[in-house]
Order: sequence, then C-alpha cells, then structure tokens
Amino acid sequence: MTRVSVSLLLWCCVGGIFLLVGCGERGESSSSRAAREGVLLIGNNSEPQSLDPHKATAVADGKIISALLEGLVRPDGQDSSGVQPGAASSWEHNADATVWTFHLRGATWSDGEPVTSADFAYAYRRLLHPEFGGRYAEMLFPLKDAREYHDGKIDWERVRGVRTPDEYTLELQFETPMPGLLSRLLHFTWFPLPRHHVEANGGMLDRRSEWTRPGNWVGNGAYLLKERRINDYLSVVPNPLYWRAAEVRNRGIRFLPIVNGYTETRMYFGGKLHITNNVPPEMIDYARHRAPGEFCRDAYYCTIFYRLNTSRRPLGDARVRRALSLAVDRGALVQRVVRGAGREAYGFTPPTVDYPGIVDATVAAMTQEEREQMARELLRQAGFPGGRGFPPVQIMTTSRDVQRVMAESIQAMWKEVLGIQVEIRACEWTAYKASLQNGEYDISSCSWSGDYMDPSTFVELWRSGAGNNCTGWGNAECDAELDAAEKCADQSERLKHLATAEAIVLRESPIIPLYWSERTYLKSSRVNGWHPLLLDNHPLDAIELDEEGAKP
Amino acid sequence: MMRFLAKRVMQGVVVLFVLETVTFFLVRVLPGNPFMGDRKLPDEVLAQLNSLYGLDASSFVQYARYWKAILVEGDFGPSLVREGVQVSEIIGSAFPVSLALGSVAMLLAVVLGIPAGMLAAHYRNRWPDALFMLLAVAGICIPSFVIAPVLGITLGAHVPGLSVAGWDNPLCIVLPALALGAVNAAYVARLTRGGMVETLSSDFIRTARAKGAGTGRILWLHALRSGLLPAVSYLGPAFAALITGSFVVETCFQVPGMGLHFVNATTDRDYFLIQGLVLCYGVLIVAANLIVDVVLAWMNPRLRA
Repeated sequence: MTRVSVSLLLWCCVGGIFLLVGCGERGESSSSRAAREGVLLIGNNSEPQSLDPHKATAVADGKIISALLEGLVRPDGQDSSGVQPGAASSWEHNADATVWTFHLRGATWSDGEPVTSADFAYAYRRLLHPEFGGRYAEMLFPLKDAREYHDGKIDWERVRGVRTPDEYTLELQFETPMPGLLSRLLHFTWFPLPRHHVEANGGMLDRRSEWTRPGNWVGNGAYLLKERRINDYLSVVPNPLYWRAAEVRNRGIRFLPIVNGYTETRMYFGGKLHITNNVPPEMIDYARHRAPGEFCRDAYYCTIFYRLNTSRRPLGDARVRRALSLAVDRGALVQRVVRGAGREAYGFTPPTVDYPGIVDATVAAMTQEEREQMARELLRQAGFPGGRGFPPVQIMTTSRDVQRVMAESIQAMWKEVLGIQVEIRACEWTAYKASLQNGEYDISSCSWSGDYMDPSTFVELWRSGAGNNCTGWGNAECDAELDAAEKCADQSERLKHLATAEAIVLRESPIIPLYWSERTYLKSSRVNGWHPLLLDNHPLDAIELDEEGAKP
Repeated sequence: MMRFLAKRVMQGVVVLFVLETVTFFLVRVLPGNPFMGDRKLPDEVLAQLNSLYGLDASSFVQYARYWKAILVEGDFGPSLVREGVQVSEIIGSAFPVSLALGSVAMLLAVVLGIPAGMLAAHYRNRWPDALFMLLAVAGICIPSFVIAPVLGITLGAHVPGLSVAGWDNPLCIVLPALALGAVNAAYVARLTRGGMVETLSSDFIRTARAKGAGTGRILWLHALRSGLLPAVSYLGPAFAALITGSFVVETCFQVPGMGLHFVNATTDRDYFLIQGLVLCYGVLIVAANLIVDVVLAWMNPRLRA
C-alpha cells in the first residue's frame, strides 16, 4: 500500500468522526426537552414485575401503581404520616377502631364507569382468594375472617371483614383495633380494581390476564398507562377523568428502570433524568461536590441490620450475640460503608415523631471503648476469653458492593476487638434468599423497610415463628407484648407495648441493628413540589417542572 | 454442497436439543425458586403459584410439557417473574435492540480491524505494525466495564449528539457499539495480521510480485482472500455473541437488550425465560457457524471436499 492510500485512510477516519459528530443536533438535553413538555423523567430502580397490584411486590412497582390507581386515601406530599382523602371523601370508625366506614366520592374509572364499593370488595376478595396465590395477601389478614377465607375454610359470603351496604359505602371490620389503619391504606394492596374490566379480561383468577397492558389499562389514579418498553421506560399521561385532574401539575411521567446507580448518576449529569433513585456510596462525594444544590439525602423508613441464627452454636448464647453487637463501631461503619448517609442504630425501628425509637439507652450513652470493653467481658463470660475457642462463623451477604464492604469492615472490627475470625460468604441474590429463608446461615446481612408508617411493621418481625423472623429466636414475653399491642384501641398505649417488645428484642439481640439508612439521590432544580418523605411515596401528580431552572 | 449443508443442519438440531435439555435440568437444580421476593412467601401461596404454572409436576413431566408447548403450539411459556408477559414478547422486544447494536459493533470491528491487520502485516516489524498491535493488545486487555464508562464520560458527555447512556435517540447506539466493537476489532486485527503475514510470505505472492503486480493489487486481490480465513472463522461465533447482547455494556449504557435479560433471568430463576434465551442464543450460534462453514468453503476450495 502506498503512502498516499495510508493517509487517505487516515483522513477518511477523521472525516467519519466529524460526520458522526455533525449529525448530532446541538443543544437541548432530554431533560430540558422533557421539562419543556412538562414530562417528569424519574429513575425507578428496576423493571416492574407487574402493574397488577395483586401480583406486584417490589418497591419500584408500587411507585408506578400508586400513580395509576388510587386507594381510599392518598399520601400527603409533605407529611410522612399524614393522609389526604382519595377515593373516599370521608370516613369514620367506632370507639375501639374495629369497624371503619368509608364514604366513596363517586369518582369514575378511566373508562367512565363509576368507582363503587364493590370494586374494593372485589379487589380484596381477589388478593385473598385461596386459588389466586396473592403474594402480599397477608397485608389484608387484619380484616375479620380474611385468614379463614384465604385458607379455604369459609366462603366469601361469610367473611365479615368487608361489607358494602350501598354502592358508595364500604365498611371494613377488623379482628383487632386498628387505630393506625389510614397509613396502611396507602399501600397498593388496599387499592380497588376495575371489576368490570378485570372480568372482561379473563376474570378474577386469570394470572395471564392482559388488563394491565398499555392500551388496555383502566384505572382511577392520576395517570393512565401510555407505553411500556421492557428495560427501557414506562410512560404515563394524566387521566382526564381523574377527580382531581385539574390539580395534576405535570403532563406525564417517564419511569426509567435503571438498576445500576453509576449509570443512573452519569445519566443524570448527562441530562437524561430529573430525579434519580440512588447515588451509590462511592459517588456521594462526587455528586455532592458537582451539584451541591441537587444532591439529596433523606431519612428513609429502613433499617440495615444483621440477623443471627440463634439455632447455631455459639449464637444461641445471648451473651455472644450481645458481644458481637457491642463490638461493632457503628459510627465508623456509617462513614466507611455509606459515606455518612445513615444514622447509627442502637434500636431496630427507625425513629419517627410518634415513635421516637427504642434505643438501647445504656449502650447508646457509652463511648465505643466502653462498649468494646463490655463486649470482651461478655465474650469471656460465655467461655471464649479473648476469642479463644470461638467456633468458625460465617457472614452471608448478597453480591452487592455495599454489603461486601460492610461485612469486611465488621469482620475486621470483630477480629480486632474480640479476637474472633469470621468468614464472608457472598451469595447470588436468589441463593441468598433461599439460604436465609431456610435458616442455612450463621449471620446474614439484611435490610428491612416499612410498608406503612407504623412500628409494628418492624417489631412484628420478631414474633416467634413469624415468616420473616428467620433467626430461630422467639420469646414468650415479647409475643405477649405484641399480642397486647394488637388488642389496644388506644394508639399511645399500643405504641408502649410495641416499645416494650422491641426492648426485649434488643436485650436478647437475635439481630444486630447497624444503621438507619438514608436515601441519597439527585433532584434537578427544575423540580418543584417534592418533599422528603420517610416512605418515599411521593405523590408524583404534585410535581411541577420549571422550564427555566439550571441544568440538568 | 447440499449433503454437507444437510449434515451440518442435523448436527445443529442435535446440539440445540442437548443444550436445551441440559439447561432445563440445571436451572431447576439451582437453589431458590422464581417466586422468591424480599419477604418470605407463605408455603400455601408458594404451592398455589407452583400449581398455577405447572411447576408442581415432576421435572420429566414438565420437560415433556415444555417441548410439547414449543413444538405443537409454538409457545415458549410465560415469564415467571414478570407475570402476564410472555417469553416470546420479552425476546421479541429485546432482540431487535441487540441485533442493531451487535450489527453496528460488528461493522466497526470489521472496518477497523481488517485494515489495521492488513497494514500491520504489510509493515511487519515496523512502526505501524507496533502501533496497531499495541492498540489491539490494549483493546483485548482493557475490560468493557472500563471502556464503557470511560467512553460515556468522555465522548458521551462532551461530543454533541452522543449521549452518556440511555436509548432515546438513534445516536445512542454509537458509544455502546464502539465499546462492544473495540474488543472484536482488536481480535480481528490480530487474526488478520497473522493470516496476512503467513500468506504474504507464500510462493504465489512471490510469483505475483515477480510478475510485477503492485502492492495494492497484491494485498487486496491476491493475499486478502486466504489471509482473512482465521478472522472469518472467528467472526461467525463473535457475531452471534454480539447480537445476543452484553450484560456489562447494556448496564453501563442502559440499553434494553438481551444481555440484561440473560443475567437477570438467571439470578431471578425465571425458568422459561432462561430456556427461551438459551434456545435463541443456541440457534444463532449454530446458524453463525453454519454460515462461516459455507463462507470458508467458498473462500478455500480445499475445504469443499
């Protein structure tokens, strides 16, 4: 090949690059264009499993479903524990809060049919149906006779929990007093279904039903499903028949299922998103520095903790469990693992206004040196002075980076403070869940987030033999307190019982609370009407987009 | 030629059958089940779900039902994780994306790799050879999870038109294709160089030179056909791999392709989806190999016997 053709080739390459670059139109980023059109671009973690509220379980699904369907009440955009009237315009309950009556406002489904009490009853029956296989059916178990119906012991006609005196009145009756019912109703398992539409699309029990597809969607929420491209995006547009249609502040939402936080953060700075789901710990400093006004850190109703398998030696000994817990320097952990985006936890339930959190007060007041001293002493009493003779123990984690880093930090702390060696076993996600649920682990790295604002969603976990307990631990005294809390009609009395139960859990330490997590994410300065909420259940119809605003 | 083709097709069918059978039983040996969520599912609900999807039958019954559904009804089954969505829909929406991305990446690999390999062979042991081979070794060694984000934050963030990640305009294909194509271009360059160096030192090239043929004519007309043989046999399977997607590149650029499904279906134990994807990948690999065989036979008459 001659010199001429070599240089020709090189010039062609250079020309090609310029041509490529030239093709791209200069200027407007996706987020500016969307803001101009009034469409919110929001990172939503993962591709939804299902938009059918009775098949979905993931948080990402819940966010979309809450935009498409509306329950009896809807979240208050500014107050985590508050609610606003939704499909019900008013309600009342009897003295001990076991019977609640809701008056529906006479809103319509997006196809013009009225939303009636029968739609709610139909939905509850479906989720509880013994042949449906509703994964979240237990959310409705407080309803009177719901459990018996779910177990196939009685017919629906005999269930006393759900009654429809007339088209626009729904009466819910509970086994025990439910003073905190309203915040539970925000969860999508309590939403109504368009009965006529589900019946027209295969019926109640059809798991392959296509009623949730774009073009075939019927809902009563602020938005209508417009388009869904798997792993790409899901878009919704305002529902013209929604009863508050005039108050919907934007012209649509596009949910992007971006699992990878690094990609998501890059996309945000590249002008592809208005709100992200998560800034990974390694990028917190960068994000905070690059966009100080846009980086957000909100408290979240979620606890990061370790489960200890008390049916395995030596974790059956409460002194050992407590020693392990005391030897963890939470302050250092929060700094090292999540760059400070969390609060050190000496209790399990995240503190809220109503429930300030049961902190193990003596421990919280000590210095870390004192805690370590106490941990060594407890371990000595348990028969392992200086860690001698401590059997091999494993920490099981998922393959996520955060969990691995956390396990390595704790491994080092235990070695230094207690002189014990633990191994780390990182498992792939489903294998991890299988081992946890079958009790095939020593110590496992876990998190728990509340479905609704009530400490019972945390404390009830530790009832003997509860499905998600998984530690093999149980305590009659703790169970008795939980039972007493259930029977309480008075909310403050009820919280006291829950607090006592939690104090027992902390004393016995079948778990090691590590930190209360905080959500770290990016939010464009164009976004108005978004306030920190503990459950991260933002009413997206309240969000308004500024066309101006700074980039991105 | 027809007998050769018929034989290869039959072999392919056997390979696919074995592949699908092994996959079917292996995924069921993995711990866990497709219905596991963050929270423990009550046993009775798990039993209901298993019976709804026919997973309560013995593995052999399920296996027989699976083939019957595919062969008789052309039904690859439902996704067990994304309920209400069919496996064929998922593959149907992801495959065109991966096909487009893989094709552009392949084009880049060929357009960059073959000339680079030819130039390196032509200038053997001189600076262009060293330069191209250095680039090729770098392309092979640097993993795509490094190349992809670096491309995103350099070119993606600063060159107008290109984007850091996402799939919302046609130019979004450029950077992921570059990231995918780079590795393949590097392999193609090295293989082309190897093939060309050997060919250029053979007797018929010396004869052509002696008869006064120009450099360009020798390279393009005489040497290329046999010099490309190693690269072509690599390109077939590489193309099949490219158009079935790459988890890393798709994750880094948020591309809704097949690679994401491949990994997620496995970690989620979405049995029918895994089997559907494996079958799809198997068909493509078998087809690509078949095409390569045909092309090689055309390029090298000695193989036709």
